[in-house]
Amino acid sequence: MSTAADPASSPEASAERTASIAPTVTAAAQQPYDDSAVALSAVDLTLSFGQHTILSNITADIRRGAVTALIGPTGSGKTTLLRTFNRMNDKVSGYRHDGDVLIDGRSIWHPGLELTSLRRRVGMLFQRPNPFPMSILDNVVAGVRAHKMAGKPAMKSIAEQHLTEVGLWAAVKDRLKDSPFRLSGGQQQLLCLARALAIQPDVLLLDEPTSSLDPNATESIEALVRTLVPDITVVIVTHNLAQAVRIADRTIFLNKGRLVEHGPTKQLFENPAEEETANYVGGRFG
Amino acid sequence: MSGAPPQGLARTASGAGLWPSVSRRRRAGNWVFWALCLVALALVITPTLWMVAGIIGRAASHFKFSVLWTSTNNLTGGLRQPILGTVVITFAAIIIGGVISILTGLYLSEFSRHRGERSILRGGYEVLAGIPSIVLGYVGYVALVVDLHWGFGLLPAALVMTVLVIPYVTKATETSLAQVPTGYREGAEALGMSTSYTLRKIVLKAAVPGIVTGALVAIAIAIGETAPLIYTASFSDLAPSLHLTHQALPYLTYLVYFFSSLVQPVNSANILANDAALVLLVLVLVLIIIGRLIAARARRHAES
Ligand SMILES: Nc1ncnc2c1ncn2[C@@H]1O[C@H](COP(=O)(O)OP(=O)(O)OP(=O)(O)O)[C@@H](O)[C@H]1O
Ligand SMILES: [Mg+2]
Repeated sequence: MSTAADPASSPEASAERTASIAPTVTAAAQQPYDDSAVALSAVDLTLSFGQHTILSNITADIRRGAVTALIGPTGSGKTTLLRTFNRMNDKVSGYRHDGDVLIDGRSIWHPGLELTSLRRRVGMLFQRPNPFPMSILDNVVAGVRAHKMAGKPAMKSIAEQHLTEVGLWAAVKDRLKDSPFRLSGGQQQLLCLARALAIQPDVLLLDEPTSSLDPNATESIEALVRTLVPDITVVIVTHNLAQAVRIADRTIFLNKGRLVEHGPTKQLFENPAEEETANYVGGRFG
Repeated sequence: MSGAPPQGLARTASGAGLWPSVSRRRRAGNWVFWALCLVALALVITPTLWMVAGIIGRAASHFKFSVLWTSTNNLTGGLRQPILGTVVITFAAIIIGGVISILTGLYLSEFSRHRGERSILRGGYEVLAGIPSIVLGYVGYVALVVDLHWGFGLLPAALVMTVLVIPYVTKATETSLAQVPTGYREGAEALGMSTSYTLRKIVLKAAVPGIVTGALVAIAIAIGETAPLIYTASFSDLAPSLHLTHQALPYLTYLVYFFSSLVQPVNSANILANDAALVLLVLVLVLIIIGRLIAARARRHAES
């Protein structure tokens, strides 16, 4: 299905090709197939649901160990792109794609790469917190258990470690057996984050993780996201441009399914190369 | 219950309270509504209580716990064999029917990809639900008892009851699976759980209360059935045994009618009929309570 050239066959060639492009091209694009610097890359990715083309010719390298923000107007395809990175779209009816997404230089659709192991490496947090209907403790270790990453006796300490990591331990340590639905929305989202972190992903995809939270909870999630890098690569969709400025090292601006601009956050907001970008970020920010 | 008439607002504007006072018309409307609710509630509860009281009242004067384990002997004795008969037939039906129904429900809600296929299957069990049980019994009699030469027995009785139970459990399974929030499935998917693991550990678990409730309704209905059993189990004094065919067996509902004073002038039989009614009532109540407990336990971590 994928039509992209296999990059593994000629990494130098692709690197040269990109390097020869004019210097206005963003920093990431200047070193595209250096495996150590790129966690994920979309290569000429075109995606459609039935008759509708949702993403067209997206090419972007997601830098390893950095926070990349995906911004753009409603319906621009941010969620679709994000969900493609761990193949959550595959089952949508009418879904079709061209081009490729590479993780460590290999296609995510490569038959040799199991879907479950891809998802273990590329975790995801959704817009609305979605804890499972089981105890708080069981929620944190649900993935660990599913992948048999640890034995039964270790579960409690794993849960403690990751709840501490997200700053939730003090609040829930006396109610680990309780239902997660009695936690506040922000706490539930932190719990889901702990659950995602417990399976030790390389990449974490966040789809507007703070849009249903109050400013305090938002702040704690943002602070946390910053502590995840550089061990984990983070891609975050946000409508909140100020949030992108606060936490993202790099920003991708999508509009109508096309990638308009991709670069260091500061540059993209203060000195955008494209007029479209300037209109979008200028119109609502600064 | 339309909006407050203007004088209500005017009164507030002129200053007494901070809240607009409830207009007289709305208050009357509320009152009528509550009264109707109470009447409806009474209409449901009164006959139930009256019936329960009647059953208990009739049996209480002569009820002895020993009827539970004393053997039935023609028109006298206890209820040992009919109780065993009812329990074994129902148990067999819910085990066989439950497995078939849960698999059907799972297939319908999780695996079937074709709308047409789904509606045919769904139509199938919905039609099944609409067939009068006496017709099922007759079909069972013609097909199993006569054509297959099984004679009356546990097997034909259990199979006919299985068919009776299937629509309820299938419907319950399908709807409770469909009601599992997509967030659970997506969350599981994003953690890299396989489809079958997600189904077993997340989705089915969330659906358990609904499935159990459906199964209990089905059991309660099956326990109370008479007509299909008359056609397939007939009646006898024999306790259920490993002879699955060619051995008629007794069940409580048979006694409730055929031993009652409507049919039998013998006093000892009438007493057994009253006792059988009481035992049926208690069985159903116990089932409902067990079901509630299971559902509550399964739901202890559920949303809301
Ligand atoms: N399952 C689907 N089937 C068909 N079309 C879809 C599907 N999901 C999304 N789309 C369409 O794809 C386009 C992009 O949607 P997407 O959710 O990616 O936008 P978004 O940028 O995340 O928007 P928002 O900021 O509002 O979340 C929209 O036009 C949407 O209608
Ligand atoms: Mg979105």
